[in-house]
Amino acid sequence: MAETRFLDQGKPPERFARGWHCIGMADSFRDGKPHGIEAFGGKLVVWQSTDGELNVLDGYCRHMGGDLTQGEVKGDEIACPFHDWRWGGDGKCKQIPYARRVPLRARTQRYETAIVNDQLLIWHDVEGSKADYDVLPPQLPGLAEGEYTDWVWVAEEIEGSNCRELIDNVVDMAHFYYVHFAFPTSFRNVFEGTQATQFMESKGRPDKTGGYGDAELFLKSEATYYGPSYMINWLDTDYKGFNTEVVLVNCHVPTGPDSFRLQYGITVKRPEGLDEKTANFIAKKYADMFGSGFLQDVHIWKNKVPVQNPLLCEEDGPVYQLRRWYEQFYVDQADVEPEMVDRFEFEVDTTKANEFWQEEVAENLRKKADEDAAEEAQPETPQMMSGT
Amino acid sequence: MASFVPTSADTLEDQRLYTSARLVEVACLDCLAKVGVKKNSEHHTSIQWTGEARQACPELGRRSSGREGHPACPRLMASIESAVREGQVSIGAEDGY
Repeated sequence: MAETRFLDQGKPPERFARGWHCIGMADSFRDGKPHGIEAFGGKLVVWQSTDGELNVLDGYCRHMGGDLTQGEVKGDEIACPFHDWRWGGDGKCKQIPYARRVPLRARTQRYETAIVNDQLLIWHDVEGSKADYDVLPPQLPGLAEGEYTDWVWVAEEIEGSNCRELIDNVVDMAHFYYVHFAFPTSFRNVFEGTQATQFMESKGRPDKTGGYGDAELFLKSEATYYGPSYMINWLDTDYKGFNTEVVLVNCHVPTGPDSFRLQYGITVKRPEGLDEKTANFIAKKYADMFGSGFLQDVHIWKNKVPVQNPLLCEEDGPVYQLRRWYEQFYVDQADVEPEMVDRFEFEVDTTKANEFWQEEVAENLRKKADEDAAEEAQPETPQMMSGT
Repeated sequence: MASFVPTSADTLEDQRLYTSARLVEVACLDCLAKVGVKKNSEHHTSIQWTGEARQACPELGRRSSGREGHPACPRLMASIESAVREGQVSIGAEDGY
């Protein structure tokens, strides 16, 4: 007999990923106040200067460590609440009101910024490299032109899990059935350069409500990570013949070695002839559904252990290749190996797995019919699943 | 320097088993690209490209780096199907993978 297999839990990474990280909706920082953002094991301060620019600096004053997020915006600068040192968006100390001159070395860590899809992104690299604007996530065509509803934006603090757990979902075909109650009918991954994509077509499970379970729901999903933390998920949904184009942004900021802030935003392409109120209602509905979908994942993450040596069966997705891709963001730029960025494709026709799953569903439906034949069916709500 | 460091030497062997083991070289019938192919079952296909192969593929080269770059190259897929039919690529997992 084979030997007992043991889990290799490995060691958590010693750094945070290189790349663009979204820290929230840009407009949420435009109220003239300093904002504190937990990120990369510390805290950042974000504020708007008079020219309308959003500025991001390390949250602690280089003088005596005062908390800038509790300071005040004075003109273009953020003023420390401790001794009123004034820091500019370029990272330089501009003024020390009680001092004759400012030390030349008074420069703090600043983060380069970009606004994409109405969201504020910052570049993080422990090597201190210049921001790479070529690898920014794309701006959604039509968004600025008003073709979509306003974003519904949600942030959730996750404790006790490294953010790689979230990334693993890109390849995890089977969890959609067990965790989210949906049948994937076709599944494909492509990893190349700094992007990792999942294509999936699915339908809801008729034996489950909640999650994404609903036999009437057909879904085409294309989800791409642009770098280590920002995913755009295009979702074409067909619910009882009613087609909706939904865009989900799923992004996160690591806050510590085993914690991260999960953020997701939903926008819906305004269907022709639909008034704004109804379109916004649909967006809110979908956001609620994703909220519950993520909570299903979060429950699993909180209770699982890290695994460096997952044991796979042939129906599983390419988790080792995905992690090899993800590794590129955790090594120095000079140490990125070709195998981390070379194109890799994986596809599986899920007919076989579905045969087994269809049987399980049929059995569940039989049991349910026996148990509560008299009960009224719950009112249906459209459910959907995403690449997460 | 690796980031998510395994603590067991066996994990390195698993990494090899699940990524590079059993990859069979398949040459595209239309261009100079050569890729690694693995089929654990009739339904599954993994394709490992190299930088050199990617440079050689005119189909992928024509596409932008955006969403249109994601679908497979149809000529390469046809070449892989042909290689499978001719028995160059064996189908089937070993010990479940």
